[in-house]
Amino acid sequence: MDARPSTCGGTYMRDPITVMAPERLGAMHQNRISFVRTLIRKMAQQKWQVTKHDWQLSPQGFGHVIYKLTTLNHVYHLVIFCDEIADEDRNDRVIAEKWDVTFALVYGDVDVELLGRLRANVPLQEAGRNPNKVLVLARANKSVRVFEHLVSHLAKGQQPNAKELAEVGYILRTTAVYGNGKFGIADFNWLETTEDFNQSFSAQMCAVYILREFSLDWVHYIANQQGGDKAVSLDIDLQRYLGIGNATGLGMAPYLINHPCVVDKWLSSRESALTAVLNTAVTINKLEPLQHLLQKGLCHLDQIITINAHQDGLNTTAIGELHDLLGKLESLLLQSATWHELVDYSGQYSLETQEILLSCLMEIYPELVDSYETKMNCDENLNLPSGKRIEDLIAVLENRYRWAIDTDFKQPENNYWFWYRSQDKEEPRLGVRGEEPGEDRELPLDIGRQAYRLYHALLICKPNMQLAEFLVLHPQYRAISRRVWTLGNKEMGEIQMNVLHKTALPMHLLRCKLAVFGATKFDPRSERWVRVTFFQGAPLLNEIHDGEWLFPLLPSHSLNQAVAEGEAS
Amino acid sequence: MIVSHNELTAVVNKAFLGMRRTCGEADIIANMVAGLQMVGLNGIGHFNNAAQFLTAEKDCPVDIFMTNEGGLVVDLHGCSLACHLPVVIDYAIEKMVGKKHLTIELKNCHNRWLAYNELVKLAAKGLACKAQWNNGSSPQNTLYILNQGCVSPELFLSDHLDLTGRTLHDMTIQLSVKNFDIAGYSAGYERHINSSALNSAQRDTWYDGILVDDAEWEKLKKTATALLVENSEASVKGAGELV
Repeated sequence: MDARPSTCGGTYMRDPITVMAPERLGAMHQNRISFVRTLIRKMAQQKWQVTKHDWQLSPQGFGHVIYKLTTLNHVYHLVIFCDEIADEDRNDRVIAEKWDVTFALVYGDVDVELLGRLRANVPLQEAGRNPNKVLVLARANKSVRVFEHLVSHLAKGQQPNAKELAEVGYILRTTAVYGNGKFGIADFNWLETTEDFNQSFSAQMCAVYILREFSLDWVHYIANQQGGDKAVSLDIDLQRYLGIGNATGLGMAPYLINHPCVVDKWLSSRESALTAVLNTAVTINKLEPLQHLLQKGLCHLDQIITINAHQDGLNTTAIGELHDLLGKLESLLLQSATWHELVDYSGQYSLETQEILLSCLMEIYPELVDSYETKMNCDENLNLPSGKRIEDLIAVLENRYRWAIDTDFKQPENNYWFWYRSQDKEEPRLGVRGEEPGEDRELPLDIGRQAYRLYHALLICKPNMQLAEFLVLHPQYRAISRRVWTLGNKEMGEIQMNVLHKTALPMHLLRCKLAVFGATKFDPRSERWVRVTFFQGAPLLNEIHDGEWLFPLLPSHSLNQAVAEGEAS
Repeated sequence: MIVSHNELTAVVNKAFLGMRRTCGEADIIANMVAGLQMVGLNGIGHFNNAAQFLTAEKDCPVDIFMTNEGGLVVDLHGCSLACHLPVVIDYAIEKMVGKKHLTIELKNCHNRWLAYNELVKLAAKGLACKAQWNNGSSPQNTLYILNQGCVSPELFLSDHLDLTGRTLHDMTIQLSVKNFDIAGYSAGYERHINSSALNSAQRDTWYDGILVDDAEWEKLKKTATALLVENSEASVKGAGELV
């Protein structure tokens, strides 16, 4: 493992060149400070209460439902609208206009007037306007296969075929979960001052978590409507196994490029937590919990069904490597002074395996890791301090932007793509330069190329020239100079990726963000589109606890039982 | 209607990017507009006004000269202040080293209200600031004083234009390590918008959302569409369709 001395004490912290490499970010997994995990711990520790407040569904399951969330500080409501839509309208793309379920997390009470306003706007999603008491606006579609399978079986008093569930892992799949002021809803700047949702994306995660409960309630309700006395509840382990799906496309990638301070904070907090673990002395009493988690990771990968051959290959490789690591684990622990040495050893494995090991190591040291959960927010301002000279900025570029300045942007393959926004709901897209229209409206996501151009413009100036003077003469470089200075002086800084390169994979960016959120079961549907699951394996609302649930598994007894019942039916 | 801060900055950002200017930083201009709008001073209207001319303006660096008294004279060549003020302020602060006071004479510029937010940032640098300008299209003399440690400025407005030595397209900014005498400088101004009113307006908008004029908002959103690329077969598939 690449390492460099950290700024504090004699500890070692991984180098940004290692941590911020896109391929490694594209292999990340959930960990203890992923947002879903932080939320569940908070809900459990503070004993947040969620109750079914209003259930106004037709026997077919259409209408609205309201869940009430009571925290130590306030009351919120999740208002869910279920609408009947045609199969052909059920579309995972942002450009869709109808959804099975639309929902909003609302601050405070929901009276008749507000409900009417929500009814008129929430189902419209991007086309509606919402009051700023709304904190989260989102939508979801059914996995029709799982939904119908569950309802038909439960209504007849049978458990479903667990294999059907394992292939999908959720009943509802979100296609956008909006927060931070979108379409008129509350800004995060306000939420940040509150006690309940002051952590990034925590309101969104909470809305999705309650939606998971609704997805189970909804299936049970319709099964009861159809089956009457015959209907049964879904096996409790299978209920836990079902999460909420999410389909994510290119839209998430520009977020990571446009919010570099956020990325730095997410990755540097994770890295600081990891560093604390890696510098800890290995103790043999951690062997068993680590073995258990690695075994879970192995089984988790084994149970992932993905249509993506590349991801399937990565999973297969990691499964083999995890078997190998588990076979040697005890002797490796006996030979290692600190966990750093074990991680060094794992450098021979694939990135998928290495990242699974890191998540497992973080898992077994909650006392070292969990405090970093509150260090994920940041000030996003990009600033240039006074008194800096050309040579100061050159030094930052040469030290931290090698990945950019060593790229030859005169070569076509380094400028292959351009990013733009299409008229279709302003979706971000990638176009091939010189072939597709829109190059004249290219988005400035080309950070590597901008840094490269800045570097070469600086090189032809006198090194002791004031930076402020340079920028008067070349104001076009001020934005990238602010960014380079700010990020170059942060722990993790930029994702080291030329997003214009012909082989650049936006998927790496998507997976990084989704792992920070706490997604599991990565199932790429193309190079630019991935399905994941949230809260799979998480405790249910009526049993919420701060115990952990890394690498969800299909419950084995339920699997055996349900498969047997499924086969018998 | 009510919009959020994020929504407002995102739209201004897109609108400015769509103009394809070399000079000017979209994120900073977005904050200029939002900062002004949040205190109730029509940031969107000022940006919409600027947008009519921005694409036709020169897109070149400013010229800066040092006066015999050590002040700065900056020729913006008829361009919007929004595109150049941050660079000028950075430069001026470098020139303040060892000085207690600096005067910046901005010549041939537009959209001076949009300086509001950038000047507010000076307080964090320990500087007091006084800015003054005359507007011709709706005749008005404006005085902006932000003393050290303040969150918002004191604003004074007068319909009486004193054009002695000044034109309708200039702005004078004075930076100082000492506070300005607000009462003394504001004598003769007919209207006063005090900092506490601006502060409370800003605070309330974080909670209640930002009130915008519907027509101005639609105009801004229309400007922002210049960035968008027409749908094509490639773009329909471009976001990564399901396989």
